[in-house]
Amino acid sequence: MYNRRIITAAAVLALSGTILMAQETIRIASPYKVTVLDPIVSAGGGNIEAYGLLYSRLMRTDKNGNLVPGLAERYEISEDGLTYTFHLRDAKFSDGTPITADDAAFSLNRAAKDENSAYPAGFAPIAEIAVLDERTLQWTLKHPSAPILANLDIFNAGIVSKDDVEERGEDAFVTNPVSSGPYMVKEWKPNDRLSLTANPNFWREGLPRVENAELIEVSDANARATMLMAGEIEVDRTVPWPQIEEINNTDGVSVKLEPSTVLYLVLPNHTRPPFDNLTVRQAATMALDRAAITKAVTLGHAEVANSTFSNALKFYDPSISMPAYDPAAARKLLEDDDLVGTEITMMITPATEQIATLLKAQWDAVGFKTTVERVDAGLWWSKMANADYDVTSSWYFNETDDPDLAIRWALCGTCGSHSYYTRYNNEEVNELTEEALREGDEEKRAGLYRRIQEITVSEIAQIPLYYTPYANGYSDRVKGLSLTPALQWTLEEAELTDG
Amino acid sequence: MKTFRFIALRLAQAIPVLLGVSLITFVLMAATPGDPIRLLVGDRASPETIAMIRDRYGLDDPILFQYFTYLKNLMVGDIGVSLRYRVPVSQLIAQHYPVTLFLVLYTIVLTLPPVIVLAVWSAKRQNGMADQIIRMMGVLGLAVPVFWLALILTRLFGVKLGWFPVSGFGDTMPGHLLHLFLPALSTMIWVVPILVRTLRSALLIEMNRDYALTGMSKGLGARQVFRTHVFPNSILPTLNLFAVIVAYLLGGSVIVETVYAVPGMGKLMIDSILARDYFVVQGATLVFALTTLLVMLAVDLLSALIDPRVTL
Repeated sequence: MYNRRIITAAAVLALSGTILMAQETIRIASPYKVTVLDPIVSAGGGNIEAYGLLYSRLMRTDKNGNLVPGLAERYEISEDGLTYTFHLRDAKFSDGTPITADDAAFSLNRAAKDENSAYPAGFAPIAEIAVLDERTLQWTLKHPSAPILANLDIFNAGIVSKDDVEERGEDAFVTNPVSSGPYMVKEWKPNDRLSLTANPNFWREGLPRVENAELIEVSDANARATMLMAGEIEVDRTVPWPQIEEINNTDGVSVKLEPSTVLYLVLPNHTRPPFDNLTVRQAATMALDRAAITKAVTLGHAEVANSTFSNALKFYDPSISMPAYDPAAARKLLEDDDLVGTEITMMITPATEQIATLLKAQWDAVGFKTTVERVDAGLWWSKMANADYDVTSSWYFNETDDPDLAIRWALCGTCGSHSYYTRYNNEEVNELTEEALREGDEEKRAGLYRRIQEITVSEIAQIPLYYTPYANGYSDRVKGLSLTPALQWTLEEAELTDG
Repeated sequence: MKTFRFIALRLAQAIPVLLGVSLITFVLMAATPGDPIRLLVGDRASPETIAMIRDRYGLDDPILFQYFTYLKNLMVGDIGVSLRYRVPVSQLIAQHYPVTLFLVLYTIVLTLPPVIVLAVWSAKRQNGMADQIIRMMGVLGLAVPVFWLALILTRLFGVKLGWFPVSGFGDTMPGHLLHLFLPALSTMIWVVPILVRTLRSALLIEMNRDYALTGMSKGLGARQVFRTHVFPNSILPTLNLFAVIVAYLLGGSVIVETVYAVPGMGKLMIDSILARDYFVVQGATLVFALTTLLVMLAVDLLSALIDPRVTL
């Protein structure tokens, strides 16, 4: 078996020469597409993963999950928590020009205030960014923000070259973007692959260890698994739960379950019947055996959710609980309010087909009449944005372990995305969100976030299902590579061994 | 001269066809709900950002206005810019089209020899053992779903035996041949039986025609009758079917391209439809239509070459 592989490898080598290159390349196949290289214009999964390889940020998260200085060597925060001064280290872009405070201010201003910025929420408190000298940068905030330092390591806070972007505009991110991160673009074939090569000017000495990286777009999970097992890629981003065993049983490859802030949930539309009615939401929750759903879908790889917060977020409250599984009581609730036979249209995408089947069976068992409406991702988003649906199922992740942005996305009714487009809008929650952002005392913050969880669970803002890890397949040759909860690859510290 | 006029005429006829195709695609895409900008900027973007970008890309203009703008650009050879990638559509097509073209040509090259050998063999020994086996294998080839077969082939030849790569396109000519072997093989397995069946039955009909008998009675050998008379006369229906299949292979490339992770036109097309990347869908459809027209034209010319009775 092994010999035959060597012979074939030699034959392939002689024919194509592509294998030679592979020795120093980590190839990552992912279903998530890289569509733009400008860090501020997209919050799409595949893009987020690429941004971290191309752009360094003022702060970074080390491999133990601690926030440490990145391009900013050190920083000072004024006593009132409103002024932040950053001192940049001596670092260069991939084109050899120095990374200055001007570049940093320009990049952060784009993320915070540019009209193209897809995700300015984390930087909303910034009033002004001033450049004190070549290497010193100062922010003033409108009000204190507890997580803002950590937000500097969010995907869209990557530092880009001001001169280059001003000169080339949109094109600066299409051909040969100037990079401040561990890698730079060797070749970008849109809709196929992004080939990267080490940035010789990367500020972290001696890194990255692996010369080249390729992000290859492969939508089919079977194709990715086969490629991993055949040694044509080193990393399979996203292994479906039923495939984990097969990969683990194959020599030389294995699946790592990596912690994430991902929360799978059921999203009810609060603006129209039937889910504008709390009784319906309660019955719909009690009808669900969420433990069984979790086990069936993830084959035991996920944890049943108990809160509207992901269990990986700070201030997550493990003691809180959703109404327990009790189909008889759910039926009774419906009967008492004469709601038996309530029709539900559940909108789903192909990705949630399995969950939808289970939801429908359990809802129908207590007296709902569920119809399934299948849409693709494009239509799904349009319908969500227009609140044109009854109920759907989806998931989300949070960029940091601080709950602020997660709440602004999923539970706050006045924060832009209308509680993940469910239109759940509780004034107390909205106020608590702002209060908790400004609160400097950790213990008090914990109290405020506990209160948010209590309210949103008791009102069943959403029905949380389960917390999943990321399941990624790795070749045993790859050492030190993982995907962080913030969807960033630790590629700069990874190594490729011969074994 | 006559041939040139024919070609010129056919190419002129292609223009209204392409216009029709582009109009239908445009209307269908515009009628498909779903917002490309939302897919572009990701989950977390605010409605304001989305509205602003929609406006900038001209997606809020009336559909007819958008179509005429598109046509106007088309006239000067500009097929637009991808909404997703901000690169010219022509660049995307130039990147993906050769891959699919290579795959289709490769499939054809692999397909033709077995088709001719098997059909002739089968027809010459009608209802014999070989004929029965060939026909049975043919039914099997047709019955096996391509995606399933592809999966089995990749696991067997790619993972277990390690003989062939299971994905991609390769960087060199031998690399292309190696990388696309399994995809071409999986396609060939259902194409060969179709063509063998048609060719076999055409051969059987022609073999029993009077002219074949006349040839024999004149003292021509069976081989010569077959080679110079029966075979050329039988090949025409198969050739026409072949043209249809080639057109189908172009459009149907998406299945093998998905299973083998081949970065070709099928993948580009599907991804662009899912992302509502209007101009890429439009451009890809036009390229598919144009290729189909050219294949049909080539087959008509070839038919006239083979059979003098076919007039252009």
